[in-house]
Order: sequence, then structure tokens, then C-alpha cells
Amino acid sequence: MTTIVGIMSKEGAVLSSDKRASKGFFIGSKITQKILKVDDTLAVAIAGQVSDAEYLVNAVRAERSLVTLQRGYPLTVKETTKLISNVAYQGMKSYQPYFAEFIVAGVDALGPHVYVTDMSGAVSAEDFVSSGSGSPIAYGVLESNYKPEMTLEQAKVLGTNAVQAAMERDPGSGNGIDVVAIPSLVIAPEVQQRRN
Amino acid sequence: MESQQAGRMPYFYGPEGALVQVDFALEAVNRGSTTLGIRTDEYAILASQLKPTRPLIDPAEKIYQIDEHLGATGAGYIGDVLKLIQELRLGAQKHRLTFDSLVDIKTASEELSSYLHQYTIYAVRPLGASVIIAGSDPLGIQMYQVDPSGTYFKGSGFAIGAGSERSLDVIQRGYSPGLSLDELVSLATKAIKTVTQDESQIEFGVVSKTNRKFEKLTAPLQTVR
Repeated sequence: MTTIVGIMSKEGAVLSSDKRASKGFFIGSKITQKILKVDDTLAVAIAGQVSDAEYLVNAVRAERSLVTLQRGYPLTVKETTKLISNVAYQGMKSYQPYFAEFIVAGVDALGPHVYVTDMSGAVSAEDFVSSGSGSPIAYGVLESNYKPEMTLEQAKVLGTNAVQAAMERDPGSGNGIDVVAIPSLVIAPEVQQRRN
Repeated sequence: MESQQAGRMPYFYGPEGALVQVDFALEAVNRGSTTLGIRTDEYAILASQLKPTRPLIDPAEKIYQIDEHLGATGAGYIGDVLKLIQELRLGAQKHRLTFDSLVDIKTASEELSSYLHQYTIYAVRPLGASVIIAGSDPLGIQMYQVDPSGTYFKGSGFAIGAGSERSLDVIQRGYSPGLSLDELVSLATKAIKTVTQDESQIEFGVVSKTNRKFEKLTAPLQTVR
């Protein structure tokens, strides 16, 4: 169930989500927070088993602050995603997988980034991405409207529209939209550079 | 010293509160070959005297590549130095697997210091080796010295091994933050030659801010000597 969306713009990264938590055919909650703040420069949107996802994000939040204290500068978005994916991969290999998908969005010294990782531990960098039962519908909006040179404001609107479209037709998504925009601290390098 | 008094029990602190075993380990380092590191904002250079060997025996390697951006050298018992180098290399690769990024120099040094510290709190032989670690990370060119006690120092001029006091003195007098790579090599050569006096070989390793790579220097060595 769920619709979550991550979008990268030249000015920062955006996450959006619906607010419905499903228990089978029952709406378990209408005010769920699916976008979890890790710190001022990074947030994670979660889909799947809430407990699994929250556990991993909490562990990564702790690790991120420890590493920042240890080495004197914060983890990059990619490093943070790798932390999540390592645990997810180990879970899959030990037949106790974390039933969740994560869209990690944030900014670091290299600019804004959106990464996605899942229970298999696969990591990929994306310009825009969606996950959850509503994602096929959200992708329709994203594919036809995403532009690499979008401003942060335009990315917020696109994120909202994508989730809105999914909520119209996906019974697993609904009850409102959350949007988080993380503005970049540095002048964004070329979009191409982020793809290496 | 007091070893007779101590009997067969393992002891840690001497009567003055010094960690006796650790002090002995530091003495072992002082018997090693003269080894140093000099750092500017642009470069860090590691240099170590190669102990002269018999004609058919190759001298042991003294400058070690840890990862592409990171190198180290050491003085003391060569077996202990090699163990520490292995530990550093392992740490660098573990960091790559865990974070998909290059380990920063502080973390590499602190992990090694923590490893050495373990040998100071149990009845075991502390490793008789100090290492100097130099590398490049997002904070710039950085250099650390790690001692058998588990103590580490961050800085721009280190010398360990035989005659390290005199060697460090030469570095301190010749140091300026704007030294070029050639000047660093000659300062390092001078600092080691002050102690060794003979025609022993010196091995060099350099990390530069421009390419962020640690490389062993072989060619310039000939021109300097």
C-alpha cells in the first residue's frame, strides 16, 4: 500500500507521500507520517512494513550522528543509503527480510541526491522515483512532467500532483499529502555529474 | 628495572604510574629505522630509511599503500608494523563496504589507535611499532601519528624511530607551510641523513591535494640523492 515519491531538482530534493496506513481492507490510520526526518539535510520516505522501516531509519539516524562526530563531517546521502541497504541485504540473506522500500533524499557537499533502496539491498540513484502500491499511477504523472531543470517549488508541486493522482485511483493510498523539500546548501553541480 | 620485584604476576603500572610495558614498546620504536612525515596544505610526504641489508637481500618495504587516497609508514619491529598496516588496509576496505566511500584519515587513525589500546589493558605484549598515516579526505590533506600506547597525534611534522628527536628538530627548523614537493623531499632527506649519516636508501610516499592519491615516490628519489 502507500504512495511515496522522491524528486531531485537543481535546488534541492523533494519527498512526498500520502497519509494512509492500511490493515488489509481496513484503513488503520489516516494521519501516518511516511516521511521520516533523519536530520536537517536528509529525510527518508518509507513504504511497506512500518515497523521494519522505522527500525532501520532509527538505526541509521544514530549511525549518522556517530559518524559525523567521529570524523568531523557528515555522511553523504549515498553513504547513508548504503548503510540502510547493507542491513536490508543481510536481512534478505538470513531469511528475515525487512519488508520495506526507502526513498532517501538529501543534500550534501556535492549537491542534492535522491536514492532508492529496497529489501534486496539494491541501491540506485534516481532523478525521480516512486514506490508503494500507488507508484504506477504516480509514475504516469512523473514521467510526463519531470524536467531536470525544475526549481524546488516546481518539484514540490510535481510531488504533490503525483501523489494526488495515485490517491484518486489506488485504494491503498489516501487521506492527504505530506511534502518535504530539502534545499541544497551548495550550488548544484550538473545533473549529469550526479549520475556517475 | 623493577621486574624482579614484580615477580611472576603481570604488571601494568610502574611505581611512578607509568605503563611499564608501553614504555618498553616505545623504546622498541626508538630502535627502529628513522621514519618521518611532513604535511602542508598541498602535500603530505612520508619518508623512511631503508635499513642496509646484505647484498642479496632486498630491503623491506617501508612505505605502504593503504588505499588509493591513504598511505602509511612505520618504525619498530617490522612484524608489528606489518600487522598494523594490515589492520589499516582492512579498515579501509571495510569502510568501502559499509559506506561505499573512502575512509577518512581521522577514522582510520582512531581505529588503529583503538586497536593498539587493547594491547595496553591486558597482560599481553603491546606492539612495538609506531605508524605515521597520511592521506586526503574531504577535510583536506591530513597526517596522524599513532603510538603503541594507543595515543594519536594530528599534525604537520612527525618523526619516529632512531634519532627521531634530532630528525624532528631538522623538520621543525626547515618547515614552512608553503613548501613545494621537491622542497619537502629534500627536507625529509636532510632530516633522515642527519641521523643516519651513511648512504642508506630512503623510501618516499606522497599524497597531493590535486589528485587526492597516495603514491610511492621512486623517480624523484634518484634526483634528490
